[in-house]
Amino acid sequence: MNKWIPIGAVLGLLLLAGVLVTPIPGWLGGSGEEEAGTAGSVATAEAVEPAEATSPAEVDPAEGGDDVRASTEVTLPEDLDWETNYDDPPIGSPDAIRGGTFNYSIGQYPMTFRLMGPNSNDAFAGWNRAFTMSFGLVGRHPVTDNYIPRMATHWAIEEDQRTLYFQLDPDARWSDGTPITADDFVFTWLMMQSEHIVDPFYNNYAEQFYESVDRIDDHTLRIVGTRPSWRPLSDYGGIWPTPEHATVLDEDWVTRTNNQWQVAVGPYVVSNVSRGESVTLDRIDDWWGDGKHYFQGMYNFDRIHLRVIPLERNLDYLRRGEIDLIAENTARAWNEDYTFPAVQNGWIRRARVFVDTPSGVYGLHMNLEAPIFQNEDFRKAMHHLFNFDRLNRNLMFDEYFRQVSFFEGTEYANPDIQPRAFNPSLAREYLERAGYRRPEHIRGRNVAQNVANAVRGLLFTRSDTDDVLVNERGEKASFTVIYGSAGLTRHLTVMQQEYRRAGVDMRLRLLEPGTAFERGLERKYEMTVTARTAGFFPSPRQYLHTDFKEAVNNNNIWGFGTSEVDELIEIYEQDLDFEARLEAMHRIDEIVHEEAFYIPFWRAPFIWLAHWDYLRFPEFYLPKRTQQVTDYLVFWIDPERREALEEAMRTGEAFPVDDDLDVDYYGILEGFE
Amino acid sequence: MRRLQLDPITRKRIERFRRIKRGYYSLVILAVAMLLSIFAPYLAESRALLVWYEGRAYFPTFQYYEMDVFGQEPPAAWGMGDLETEYLRLQREWRVERHFFERERAEVGDDPDAVAELERRYPNRRNFVIMPAIPWDPYESDFWYNEILNDIQLVLDEGDDARAEMIARRDGLAELADAIHTGEIHELVADVEASPTGDLLGLARSGVMPSLAGLGEVPPTPPDFARRHYLGTDSQGRDVASRLFYGFRISIFFALFLVFFGQIIGTIVGSLQGYLGGRFDILSQRVLEVLIAIPFLYVVIIMAALFAPTFWMLLGIMAIFQWISITFYMRTEMYREKTREYCLAARSYGASHLRIIFRHLLPNSLTPLVTFTPFAVVGAVFALTGLDYLGYGMPPPTPSWGELIDQALMPENRDKLWLTLAPFGAITITLVLVVFIGESVREAFDPKQYARYE
Repeated sequence: MNKWIPIGAVLGLLLLAGVLVTPIPGWLGGSGEEEAGTAGSVATAEAVEPAEATSPAEVDPAEGGDDVRASTEVTLPEDLDWETNYDDPPIGSPDAIRGGTFNYSIGQYPMTFRLMGPNSNDAFAGWNRAFTMSFGLVGRHPVTDNYIPRMATHWAIEEDQRTLYFQLDPDARWSDGTPITADDFVFTWLMMQSEHIVDPFYNNYAEQFYESVDRIDDHTLRIVGTRPSWRPLSDYGGIWPTPEHATVLDEDWVTRTNNQWQVAVGPYVVSNVSRGESVTLDRIDDWWGDGKHYFQGMYNFDRIHLRVIPLERNLDYLRRGEIDLIAENTARAWNEDYTFPAVQNGWIRRARVFVDTPSGVYGLHMNLEAPIFQNEDFRKAMHHLFNFDRLNRNLMFDEYFRQVSFFEGTEYANPDIQPRAFNPSLAREYLERAGYRRPEHIRGRNVAQNVANAVRGLLFTRSDTDDVLVNERGEKASFTVIYGSAGLTRHLTVMQQEYRRAGVDMRLRLLEPGTAFERGLERKYEMTVTARTAGFFPSPRQYLHTDFKEAVNNNNIWGFGTSEVDELIEIYEQDLDFEARLEAMHRIDEIVHEEAFYIPFWRAPFIWLAHWDYLRFPEFYLPKRTQQVTDYLVFWIDPERREALEEAMRTGEAFPVDDDLDVDYYGILEGFE
Repeated sequence: MRRLQLDPITRKRIERFRRIKRGYYSLVILAVAMLLSIFAPYLAESRALLVWYEGRAYFPTFQYYEMDVFGQEPPAAWGMGDLETEYLRLQREWRVERHFFERERAEVGDDPDAVAELERRYPNRRNFVIMPAIPWDPYESDFWYNEILNDIQLVLDEGDDARAEMIARRDGLAELADAIHTGEIHELVADVEASPTGDLLGLARSGVMPSLAGLGEVPPTPPDFARRHYLGTDSQGRDVASRLFYGFRISIFFALFLVFFGQIIGTIVGSLQGYLGGRFDILSQRVLEVLIAIPFLYVVIIMAALFAPTFWMLLGIMAIFQWISITFYMRTEMYREKTREYCLAARSYGASHLRIIFRHLLPNSLTPLVTFTPFAVVGAVFALTGLDYLGYGMPPPTPSWGELIDQALMPENRDKLWLTLAPFGAITITLVLVVFIGESVREAFDPKQYARYE
């Protein structure tokens, strides 16, 4: 140990010497170059082929690649059936008051202001998207789930279920006042395909999803998807405009626009940044969306001030009044840290707001190829030994909810499925049916065994691996759980004790997260814990189809597949009738439950909020499909309450406090009881 | 029998060591602690040492006994009798029976029928359980603090006051048990002042019954002698004292094994280098330089990421690097000693090389070995603790100091003083003891004790 530092120093010096005397080879500068990313490569590209000084109009983004599909001129068919929807309620509240500055935190300073390209998926992307990508052609209403107009006022879908027509909102303007036209959407599509954006995800997305995006006239657009879909508006209608007149797409684009706020479609523009510290967004005074039906009550602040604050210090900043709102993220903090006077006095309000969003697949998975888990009774026994309530009560402050469905949080979840309750006697019955019993010899009075036990007790920390159940072949009810999240060790060791008590030996093996994830994909495990995120439309094929049963390195981590499920997946993907799809998905959910290869863990179908009293929320707090508290910006600052609060803080007056923190406007809690 | 006779110099050194009280007592303390830790399963374990049940002795440390054997009821949710007996609970249940028997015995007086009835009702009053000093094994999660009031509340709600009192008394909640016995509890719970939420939990929170304070809390819980968590519990409700003890056992034996093998290999290689010298010395020295330039902690971390580390695997990996440092000292010692006359004399008598090294030179070059060994032990304990702290040590749920320190340093546990003090205290004490021993040994072996420098 004590040799450590000198050795490190010597090693460091040697390396340094190596660097000094040799020209820096690629592998040494590797990480640095990656960091600077395109800076290096762009510089060389420029040296070889200097970028022409072109005016925006002359830029042809298609130049970037060989196989880029270009836009063509098309005409509008005659007999289109135009649809629209202005019947749903506005997303925000009519009580909302415009004005004020909203102070909030971001975990890290934006790595880029771009929407595409390297690093464009960082922590700031949520904000970035809210003011740009949220302005797709059509959106889904976050409460009713219906399609609603955003950039397009009307849309029409051809019978082939992949050709779509949109009428754009003629009022729409860029933040610089230029009208938004069909060309801006075509430009987004072309830009996605460009090599200059250095973004394989969008390159791939544009290719996989869009056959073409074509302008018909200034305010009419045609989009042709690559394949027929029963949800064409979701698949193809989310494309957002990009300001063609203000974009120069060339080799330099990535670096040039890295820290440059783009001309925006949304209501806020960056007005000031302090590098590494904060970003300030200002409201556009005469934003084109003001007064549009669905935007009512949204985007209420005149200014949004985002400060870079490390996650664990958020509460300190809230207490000092330097930020107005936080979304708490640990049950312990939520239960233990909010005891300070401002909370007791009702100056800071708290709420646990229930929302309903897809929670994905998260839990214990059993490998159906592992001999021990090929027995269905054994798998069911594992379910009945999972004591969720005990974990929740003692490790998670009773805050979480047990996940049940394979499609949890989507409209396709089967409401009739009940989780298998903690019931060790039943588990034991299943285990006995699977052939596992307490070994006879532990009851024996054999002197030799007793002595052996005693000696073993001296050498090892546990003297009792003897009471683990065995089957007739003498195989122990014993398996290894592979997992990659150190935070889960607490939960798993408690579970381990419980399984142990029932005679099942669950061994834990914490691996490096990437390794654990790969072991799951390669199906090299007995039991594992992994999570998969999900969208609003589940995609059962990648998880459950027989196509992926034999092959490895896919999301069918259990090695599951039956012809019945294959057929149901076909129905879900092909059938245009919602009821038929629903029925198929409910059946799949049921089969997954019956097969019992997946023990769902828990989820948090809520957002923990703490905010100063002057920050007001609508009656429903947040729309039902809210994933991040700032997704829809439906809250506002009430200047009168702000004055009242300042007065109360001067005099020490307390506001009435409601102890019931739960806000469940949409009755989400009912689904868990 | 010549070997048993210590040569005078060694005897003198041992004498000198014993005179240095600090080091001598440190050695005694550490040796006793290590000896005790060998017997850890009999000192810190949730199984009883002895159960006296209906005139027969049972020794659960050696054998598995089901709850049915002692007529113990399984926990509410479990409903099967072939679980292993919960001995601490058994001990408390039997004590409560004794308590009830004596209480009612005093009430009924001398009526033989009533006494016989009482004896029938409390059959376990003469049975007893002897538990280890720390009646918790290092793995068991104890969520008693959070669960007990709910459990009693459930029984009360069923209207079974006698059973509720039994549970409360069993678990040392005397004040609550008395209140249930007198029936006072129902008024208290109904009183909004005493219990705002109308249940026992509210009673605990309002502070009307001070002995309930701290119940309804999730782990980690502070030290509690009544519950016999002498150093409190960790964030999963496991007994800190028990984990500390087993952690000591693992890390000190790990260190001893490691240093033992490491020093033997290092001594042999170093001696050969020094004795043979020449080309062998030059070549092997280069190999060692390469080895020592490998940062061993990183190697261990990489290995741990690829394979699940076990005691022996970690020992193996660390042993690869452990032996190197001692070779340098042994090499120089040998270089010096081999030029002495007694070595030449041995050679002229025709002694083999190995005999010269191990019979003649080695005993005279032991000073660095002896003086460095205690510090190597310190280093090894530190290394294992460090690896566990970083999460690359033994797999969970193995008890370890590093893991305890990791818990103690988590932001949410920073005010849980017992979690911090226990592992840091244990490390500090152990390392101080070892260093004292090392210092004393060095002093005892110092040939220049009476040397004058002029």
